[in-house]
Amino acid sequence: MAKHVLLNNVDHRNLHIITDRAEKYGDNVMFTTTFPQEFRRIQAYYPIFFYKDAQTGKIYSAALFGFKDKENLFLTEKGWDASYVPLTIERQPFLIGVQRYQNEGVAKQQRVIHVDLDNPRVNETEGELLFLAYGGNTPYLEYMASVLEAIHHGYESNEKFIARLLEFDLLESFVLDIQLKDGSTHQMQGFYTINEEKLNALTGDVLAELNSEYYLQPIYMILASHSNIAKLVERKNSRL
Amino acid sequence: MSGSVRRVVIVGGGSAGWLTAGVIASDHMAHHESGLEVVLIESPDVKPIGVGEGTWPSMRSTLQKMGISETELIRECDASFKQGSKFSQWATGDDEYYHPFTPPAGYNEINLADYWQVFREQVTFADAVCVQSHICTQGLAPKQISTPEYAFVANYGYHLDAAKFSALLQKHCTQKLGVKHVLANVHNVRVDAEGYIVAVDTETHGDIVGDLFIDCTGFTSLLIGQFYKVPFISKNNILFNDTALAVQIPYHKDSDAIASHTLSTARSAGWIWDIGLPSRRGVGYVFSSAHTTADKAEAELRKYIEPVIGSQESESIALRKIAIQSGYRKEFWYKNCVAVGLSAGFLEPLEASALVMIEYSAKMISEQMPVNREQISVVAKRFNEKFIYRWERIIEFLKLHYVLSRRTDSTFWIDNRDLSTIPEGLQELVSLWRYRSPWHYDATHVEEMFPSASFQYVLYGMGFETLPRATQRRSDSALAERLFKENIQRVMQLSANLPANRELLEKIKLFGLQRI
Repeated sequence: MAKHVLLNNVDHRNLHIITDRAEKYGDNVMFTTTFPQEFRRIQAYYPIFFYKDAQTGKIYSAALFGFKDKENLFLTEKGWDASYVPLTIERQPFLIGVQRYQNEGVAKQQRVIHVDLDNPRVNETEGELLFLAYGGNTPYLEYMASVLEAIHHGYESNEKFIARLLEFDLLESFVLDIQLKDGSTHQMQGFYTINEEKLNALTGDVLAELNSEYYLQPIYMILASHSNIAKLVERKNSRL
Repeated sequence: MSGSVRRVVIVGGGSAGWLTAGVIASDHMAHHESGLEVVLIESPDVKPIGVGEGTWPSMRSTLQKMGISETELIRECDASFKQGSKFSQWATGDDEYYHPFTPPAGYNEINLADYWQVFREQVTFADAVCVQSHICTQGLAPKQISTPEYAFVANYGYHLDAAKFSALLQKHCTQKLGVKHVLANVHNVRVDAEGYIVAVDTETHGDIVGDLFIDCTGFTSLLIGQFYKVPFISKNNILFNDTALAVQIPYHKDSDAIASHTLSTARSAGWIWDIGLPSRRGVGYVFSSAHTTADKAEAELRKYIEPVIGSQESESIALRKIAIQSGYRKEFWYKNCVAVGLSAGFLEPLEASALVMIEYSAKMISEQMPVNREQISVVAKRFNEKFIYRWERIIEFLKLHYVLSRRTDSTFWIDNRDLSTIPEGLQELVSLWRYRSPWHYDATHVEEMFPSASFQYVLYGMGFETLPRATQRRSDSALAERLFKENIQRVMQLSANLPANRELLEKIKLFGLQRI
């Protein structure tokens, strides 16, 4: 069960966060959500696809770590086997909450950091401290705050990005068939990818529009990322 | 090119007018300079009939082809999913069965009806051969929030608010499809030397000329009936019901379950329809005035709605009386005028056939759109042939529901089984089915209104028994057994994964359905 509380430097002055990556901390996930601003760094290691949230039917971008549920081929005994860890993985156990307040009689809201006290990373002794001796934020906490802000803006732009892709029929569902070195085959379903045929047929004015919205580069970053599928298969092969 | 058909004028709004306008305008590029011109003239004074709330699955592709989003339909038309019909108390007065939109499993390879007969005491036909009756009984939706728009997990059509549906279609037709909308009363029709309509005169907008005119004026039948005097052929001697009493009632609680099917409950002189939209239930008693009194009929309807809205409300709520005439025009397409919707004909809504007939009419007119004047009479002849056939098949199928009943509690039910009221074609089919279950070759045309599967659901739902033939025939019981087992597994899987209707409809209103 998750227990999200508003972070403050009084109740939580002794909190430490374990930053190791391991299955026992819930890192054995098949994929994580990503967003256009992050694609450039993601595409160096992870294939980028899209998935639908089962509860809402909404479509999100995803960085893929494995081919089936709970399979993370980047998770080893020595930790995460890639020099870039996606922000939505890094942000654990924090998340953004919205705090409503009044300023001169006007209702306002601001984004504030929450921490999940039930997350196994949260403890009193091991890992990164959140607050300095005199109550200020540690560089680690400042960094996490910036990660959360980036994710927040990322989700917003992701929604608009996906809407544009759908507008021009640039998304399609697909099935990924892989064959492993022992001859076994595996099929991955339920994800979506860029419809390259439709992409290649886009007219100049549409391309110009997408470019002015900074959506053209992310689209091609997605395509570039697909060369990581072969590397992901190699990782799976090496575990056989 | 002289004599070319360039302008189609639709007289009348409502579901018929706007669906026809939408189908033709989207197909013939009415929004484009070089496309067909489509004009719809609607009276500001005449109100549409206001009922007509059930569709077949065909409506999904009709709307999708027109460019309307399913999310918009659900948000703006108070729509819910219809997975078929449930008939209650039709056979003995103490029975019920489903006629779902899904054909029996393995329908292209094997006739499961033959293999089900030995299990008829243990499991109903619908329950044995498809998943849909189970889904409906549990009040589950035919898809999930992650299913793309218009796609299905189980085949479905819609229940919707007729007035809101027209409004949505009108908005789409005028804003996106290039349909010109004229609000005016037609008070005169001008014809040329050969009797073809040249223009309709309106009080406020002058003459509206056209090459092809479509009569969507409802029961009034302004062009086909009143102007051209094409006779109406009554089928009241076969289908007795001639009156409908309609009412709309709220749910007991806002969170009450929404039924996934149209409920049809047999009564002493007819039957009551019950259609669940998210905000209300549309209920109506369709009955034969020759077999009951106005007071008795009213009492039966009020008794039906009492458990939902309480005795005080059910006694006082206003009921709307609509006179209905079962039958259709001798010709639907006369000269350069074709009737679509109620102006063409009407049959009691026992299988929600009205809207689908509008869809089929619009599709045929659009696809076979005469290129020039010479072609009109040829297309007209073929249209008439095709649709007379269709009306006759619907009449047969509706009558079947009455023919199979074993109720003896009123003269209505006994009279319905009198041979003189049963079309010969239907008598022949029933005699065949006495020893052989309905199957593909019963259909004589390619695009039948009702596939043989529909006959199976009604026949075996009402307890009809097909006796074994005298000689043996090759059988595939292994395949049948496998299909029955797979059906059970699929029912369990879907029961665990499909949301309830109301739950899904709320989510769709909130998040929308994706296009992929």
